[in-house]
Amino acid sequence: MKQYRAHLLVCAGTGCVSCNSFKVKEALEKEIKKRRLQDEVQVIATGCNGFCERGPIVMVQPDGIFYQMLKVEDVPRLVEEHLLKGRPVKRLMYVPPAEDKPVPKMKDIEFFKHQRLVVLRNRGRIDPEKIDEYIAFDGYEALGKALTEMTPESILAEITASGLRGRGGAGFPTGKKWAACATQKRAPRYIICNGDEGDPGAFMDRSVLEADPHAVVEGMLLGARAIGAAKGFIYIRHEYPLAIKRIEIALGQARDYGLLGKDILGTGFDFDLEIVQGAGAFVSGEETALIASVSGEIAMPRQRPPYPARKGLWGQPTVINNVETWATVPNIIRRGAAWFSELGTDTSKGTKIFSLVGKINNTGLVEVPMGISLREIVYGIGGGIPGNRAFKAVQIGGPSGGCIPAKLLDLPVDYESLTAAGAMMGSGGMIVMDDKTCMVDLAKYFLNFLRDESCGKCVSCREGTQRMYEIVSKITDGQGTLEDIKLLEELAVAVKDASMCGLGTTAANPVLSTLRYFRPEYEKHVVEKQCPAMVCKEIVSAPCQYTCPIGQEASSYIGLIAKKDYEGAFKVIRRDNPLPSVCGRVCSRPCESVCRAGEIGEPIAIRGLKRFVLDWAREKGLDRPAKLPLTKTDKVAIVGAGPSGLAAGYELVKKGYPVRIFESLPVAGGMLRVTIPDHRLPKERLQDDLDYLVDCGLNIKTNMTLGKDFSLDDLFRQGYKAVYLATGAHKPLEMGVPGEEAEGVLQALEYLKEHHLGIPVELGARVVVIGGGNSAVDAARVAFRDKRVKKATILYRRTRREMPAYPEEVDQGIEEGVAIEYLTAPVRVRTQDGKVVGVECIRMKLGEKDASGRARPVPIPGSEFQVPADTLILAISERAYTPYLKESDGLTLSPEWGTIIVDQASMATTRPGVFAGGDVVSGPSSVVEAMAAGKSAARAIEAYLEGRPFERVAEVTRPSDYVEPVKLTEAEALNTKRVKMPHLPRGQRKSGHAEIELGFPKELALKEAKRCLRCELETRDAKKALGREQ
Amino acid sequence: MIELTMNGLVVKAEEGWSVLETAKFYGLAIPTLCHHEGLTEFGGCRLCLVEIGEPPRSKLVTSCTYPAEEGLVVRTDSNRVWSARRMMIELMLSTAPGSKVLQDLASRFGVTQVRFPVRNEECVLCGLCVRMCAEQMDGRAIGFQQRGHKRKISTPFDLRSAECRLCGGCIHICPACQLRCQGPNAETALCNACLSMEPTCLEHYDDLQCWMYDAGRCGTCVREKKSQRV
Repeated sequence: MKQYRAHLLVCAGTGCVSCNSFKVKEALEKEIKKRRLQDEVQVIATGCNGFCERGPIVMVQPDGIFYQMLKVEDVPRLVEEHLLKGRPVKRLMYVPPAEDKPVPKMKDIEFFKHQRLVVLRNRGRIDPEKIDEYIAFDGYEALGKALTEMTPESILAEITASGLRGRGGAGFPTGKKWAACATQKRAPRYIICNGDEGDPGAFMDRSVLEADPHAVVEGMLLGARAIGAAKGFIYIRHEYPLAIKRIEIALGQARDYGLLGKDILGTGFDFDLEIVQGAGAFVSGEETALIASVSGEIAMPRQRPPYPARKGLWGQPTVINNVETWATVPNIIRRGAAWFSELGTDTSKGTKIFSLVGKINNTGLVEVPMGISLREIVYGIGGGIPGNRAFKAVQIGGPSGGCIPAKLLDLPVDYESLTAAGAMMGSGGMIVMDDKTCMVDLAKYFLNFLRDESCGKCVSCREGTQRMYEIVSKITDGQGTLEDIKLLEELAVAVKDASMCGLGTTAANPVLSTLRYFRPEYEKHVVEKQCPAMVCKEIVSAPCQYTCPIGQEASSYIGLIAKKDYEGAFKVIRRDNPLPSVCGRVCSRPCESVCRAGEIGEPIAIRGLKRFVLDWAREKGLDRPAKLPLTKTDKVAIVGAGPSGLAAGYELVKKGYPVRIFESLPVAGGMLRVTIPDHRLPKERLQDDLDYLVDCGLNIKTNMTLGKDFSLDDLFRQGYKAVYLATGAHKPLEMGVPGEEAEGVLQALEYLKEHHLGIPVELGARVVVIGGGNSAVDAARVAFRDKRVKKATILYRRTRREMPAYPEEVDQGIEEGVAIEYLTAPVRVRTQDGKVVGVECIRMKLGEKDASGRARPVPIPGSEFQVPADTLILAISERAYTPYLKESDGLTLSPEWGTIIVDQASMATTRPGVFAGGDVVSGPSSVVEAMAAGKSAARAIEAYLEGRPFERVAEVTRPSDYVEPVKLTEAEALNTKRVKMPHLPRGQRKSGHAEIELGFPKELALKEAKRCLRCELETRDAKKALGREQ
Repeated sequence: MIELTMNGLVVKAEEGWSVLETAKFYGLAIPTLCHHEGLTEFGGCRLCLVEIGEPPRSKLVTSCTYPAEEGLVVRTDSNRVWSARRMMIELMLSTAPGSKVLQDLASRFGVTQVRFPVRNEECVLCGLCVRMCAEQMDGRAIGFQQRGHKRKISTPFDLRSAECRLCGGCIHICPACQLRCQGPNAETALCNACLSMEPTCLEHYDDLQCWMYDAGRCGTCVREKKSQRV
């Protein structure tokens, strides 16, 4: 045999082949020939390596170096560097996610380290089309031993003693099945290999057949010997052409070597195998259906008894086992039952192959000992969830299986544990799901599969799967009721009980197991018409509108921008948003974080487009409303002219109520006016929105402080029938370090307020800000614009990743020269003569995650250091503060948070007629959330004044109108890059407080608007409205 | 003889009998629909389900296709059996509400609602027509097409059949083709008139219109003029 100094094992499983691994192999052979290495280096195509996520894969032996995701272009470099110069190519190696160093050797890679290869022992190391390589790794040794040293009875005894259970799904003890057949007196007997593998997402059997076909052949030879069969059939589904080809080649080669056919190894044992191809039916994997199919009949299951072991193919005793089961057999005979039963648990011996797919970093095929925990498979081998998303559930067993939720991650993987948890080992398909998977949609997916694949004989299965599908569809359409869920459960139990074959009796599992662990998710779909994972299109429509607290129809107005109907877009924005110029500049943009364009590229710049429309409308002079008519007489008082109070006031004015807002500051706008800096929100733009509201008829009285200038009782005495308290949360939290009370120590909110009201503030040359939120960054940047300040530093106790401030604000701050010290916490304030001179700080490191999900910072002892400061600004956080309330006012506060307690649904406080909302109820939140609270409050107040209970009606999300989409060019349709917002040149920023974002020019706005995927047009309602019914 | 237990009674069956045949022999009434004496067993309607084995490892099987086995323990009317039966009737009613056979079964087993949107296909795919045509009439003109929710019975390629001799055997044997009882509630998917027997049909007709009389059931509700709601 020729000796090579190196072997290049190119993975040629279907996964890698579909990524051009054959082309890579060709390129390698060409390059090696070009470099005259063909006598030293051999290139071999092997079966599936298992790490399908990273194909095409090439292993270099004897080094054990693992190369992944190879392209044809990489080949010359690989050959030159690794094979000629002996320098393995780092760039082509595997780098674990969230790390930066490559792991060169396969045996060190997490994905492979924890696996235990028994059935898959030859994967990736032999050419499956060469029987000699199989033999070289102990192939057919078990057959030799069995035919020469053992009897059929002893082979049977060995399999029984090993505890092997069928790997097709049901886990029936293999020895028992074989014995039931062997003890039948009638001949001939048959054995069959079930290679139908119909589960979506399962490819274990395919990989075994492609990577190591002789293992299956040898296993069947041993089985035939034990049972007394002279003929066997390998049933492979037609959709596996590569597997069929490899088995055909294997059979031919085995026959040539006298290992198959008549008088095998000269022992007088006759056995031959025939391939039968299945086509297009899931049910043909059921044993009685498969047997019917082998005999040429339609693949329909029949009642058992009689079991195939007694009466199977053509009425003869037949043993039918799964591919994986057969491939395990040679290992047991070769190494002994005792060795095999060491692996696994008491009741589930050996190893099991799983196809790990779905939301998992390391997609692929894994073989693990039974009893390993799910957590180890998902996180150890699988590498966790991509994007660091939360694990939600893992579906095991395909359409016949069930889900295991996060709380059961430590479940051992064995037959009994999985069944008890409502799932099933099944053939071994494992689909991992994250928080963006809807469990109801998952049940629908499997039911759709099953209603197609049911053979159709039993009423319970045929009608049952169809009706279950209809009910679950109703729920995902947002039309379900609680009665539907009850009916679904009742039906599921009946389908399970009454059906004849495995397809029917397990058809209800996806429904029953998702209901068992995720019932609240079903109920949310039904009661609140919400899909928490934002998957169900008929409920969610466009995620931007769905998620927006004030229900802005973003995709509609973006569609209008794309059509250049800017006035139309303006009307859509105005309809739902009382402060659009403000939002277009400072909104926290929950819409952009769920934008579907962001899943395949960058999210649409929704906020920027909104601002574009408002700027355009302002220039055209469109934002000039007429005073709205007064149709009601009940007066409503609102305390606080911040976003919540303004929104509530506007809604009430629209409804015709006389409204007056009382604002304690000399100016309206709340934190919009006195906290958010001009360089983010110019006063003039806020004034545009305020003018609009006042023109509509909203009456705002400033310099009126509740608790000082008037009381709640006064309001009612003056004839107001309802009061809405929206005073916000702006009491700063103290740091809790000594020296805080010294001169020169300011609170960020207080500092910003005084600055924006034109009140002079003492600032020293070195300003230090403590905190990581928007207030901290705002305070630092505003202070740094002051001529007196020479240095501005932010101290934050966690890292950049955990900073809650808007990323672009932090970036701009750094560009402007603000320094940020991460993992730094203050210990005490150093003072001299009562004035601050510095902060003593300590270095932190990130420890365990706390309740907010962020890693808790932990001080590093002995790492104290000094930061000099002339002014110290604290921006830790704020809380709600209601000094204007006395006990006699009759309201209830939360002792922990200082917020006003209200009824969740009606927003009513404990005093009749008094409502509250916004930050004073929720604690510090966002502008848009505060506005949403204001809008709800207006509706609640209206209900109260009309003497009816306030009911929130749950509805599916829909836009008010459907905007016809524009035709796109191919380039426009493929564009996933977001336009960049023009910014004020850096040199001009710090000299004043001019707005930094300049707004999109028309061409950029059009370009960005055309990128919108128009998700709201996907619903059936939309298609009907646009005349595109299917 | 094969000895087995049915509803607590020790019964004997001949070799080759099904559980259904054994039950019938002993007078235990198990409902059927796709079963017919002259045709092979099909086991599709799932009405003849019985519970075999001991809980918790007991399971439901169709008695028409399950062979009588030595030592088998059978219960013909357990809770599980009735729940399953009722659901089967409800499912079949939703695709063939016009069937008298199904309406009578509904009343007999207390099915009082059809909670699925009605698809009046006038067929429950019981296969009696197919077997009648093939086995009794030697025609083999019709058969099953497709699978799953698309399954239907028709001639090959839905073309007019040259084999069909228009004997009408399929129509004769079809349970869905039979007219619904003409009780006063005939408009809705479910009749159930006899469940709230006063008896209302006797106000209109001379004789009882439904199975109760035909099958020799006690008819106590009629004699005592009591209203029965299950």
